[in-house]
Amino acid sequence: MCATPSATCGWPTTAVVDPVLFWWGLPLGLALAIGALAPLAGTLLLVQRRLFLANLISHAVLPGLAVAVALRLDPALGGVLSGVAGALLAERLSRGGAPGEEADAAVLNTVLAGFLGLGVLLIPLLHIRVDLEAVLFGDLLAAAPVDLLRTLLALAAVLLLLALRYQQLVFLGVDPLGAASAGLPVQRLRLLLTLVTAVTVVSAMTAVGVVQVIALMGAPALLALGGATSLRQALFRAALIGMAITALGFSMALLPAVNLPPGPLIGVLCLALLPLRAWPLGRGR
Amino acid sequence: MRRGTELALEGVSFRLEPGSLTALVGPNGAGKSTLLQTLAGQLIPTTGTITLAGQPLTPSLARRQLALMPQRGAIAWSFPITVRGLVALGRSAARRNGCCEVEAPLQRLGLAGLADRRLDQLSGGQQQRALLARTLVRPAPVLLLDEPCAAIDPPSRTELLQVMAQLRDAGLTLLVSSHDWGSDLDSYDRVLVLDRQLLADGSPAHVRHTLGHLRVAHHGCG
Repeated sequence: MCATPSATCGWPTTAVVDPVLFWWGLPLGLALAIGALAPLAGTLLLVQRRLFLANLISHAVLPGLAVAVALRLDPALGGVLSGVAGALLAERLSRGGAPGEEADAAVLNTVLAGFLGLGVLLIPLLHIRVDLEAVLFGDLLAAAPVDLLRTLLALAAVLLLLALRYQQLVFLGVDPLGAASAGLPVQRLRLLLTLVTAVTVVSAMTAVGVVQVIALMGAPALLALGGATSLRQALFRAALIGMAITALGFSMALLPAVNLPPGPLIGVLCLALLPLRAWPLGRGR
Repeated sequence: MRRGTELALEGVSFRLEPGSLTALVGPNGAGKSTLLQTLAGQLIPTTGTITLAGQPLTPSLARRQLALMPQRGAIAWSFPITVRGLVALGRSAARRNGCCEVEAPLQRLGLAGLADRRLDQLSGGQQQRALLARTLVRPAPVLLLDEPCAAIDPPSRTELLQVMAQLRDAGLTLLVSSHDWGSDLDSYDRVLVLDRQLLADGSPAHVRHTLGHLRVAHHGCG
């Protein structure tokens, strides 16, 4: 075991990182981090019956991203703020409208399309250049260290939320009315979930794109929930499945015979997961 | 009591005796759930007062002294949680560390052997017993049960009625809502008939006599 860096132990003797390792190690690390993060957030949303937020926020990040680029701020910050604003606006308008799920879905779809349209319009209006294809579908091989750092911070935030609020999230998921009457901070918990979703979507921008991340939030969560006897177990399984999917997608993308962009490839692999729901993990317990 | 612009309850006045088992019956939309949620401190009455042992009922007093078992539709039965996990959530409602034994309600409701099963692997009757066990985790002297016998088979219903009678015999006060009328009504000490206002109040026989024009369906919990 090496306690200190040395040539015999194989540690780098200089600060120079092997360029080959950097070339594929960084995207792979980012793919694995997103593979863990997105299914964790997706599982939380699914058990709270709020997975619609993933779809909504993934479309609502664009205006904030465009404004942030124009103001020379971190696009991720603008994306998170815009995503949360879109989610809050949709909730606000849903409450004020006609009752019923269909009416809520209509509001939701209009808000997400409206935010996406606004984002697209802002690009020429603000005279900025945004690679829409990369935003929507990701460009994993163009990952920078800051992308990995951002994703790891988002992952840490989700784990912190789970560590501090796990029991409350379980109560809220099982019995929302009971949780409210027991004095749990339901609105605050839901806002935290919205924030976590926005951070997850923005973190996934480079890896798989803000659209493809929806699949990565949903499919592993669906598979992991089958037969799980606790939310903790479902979260753990979802993260493992997500990491396997992103690692596989990334590896396949590198194969000369395949040579396809990893983001959409990961989305297609998520689609292939869905039939496996017929054999839930841990079935027969 | 108003819900939105609609008048949900009007002029409802009654007193529950300690250690009694009372049925609250009425058709769908009669205001049974609204009344139970109001008693549990979840809704604030537009006018009127609710007192508990002479004290005005505040939300914090309600949380300590009353436990509400919600309708089964309020629960996400497919959530990844075991019976023991669901029952333990009753402790979260108590918000007191070290309080509330989980195993005792499981034993009392005959769920010890099913404690590690997922909720969606239980029958409807077992699910209702699990929900009742969660309600019993808190040492609240008054239990408000919202349609506990809805959508379960007759043997499970009979079991639940027996459990409720045992709880009454143990000194608890139970108010149990149902939209069904049937022979099970005789299991209760007293019946309140509600249809936005109190239509009848008395023993099962008295209520049947008073409201003889109402058709009695021979199924249901209360």
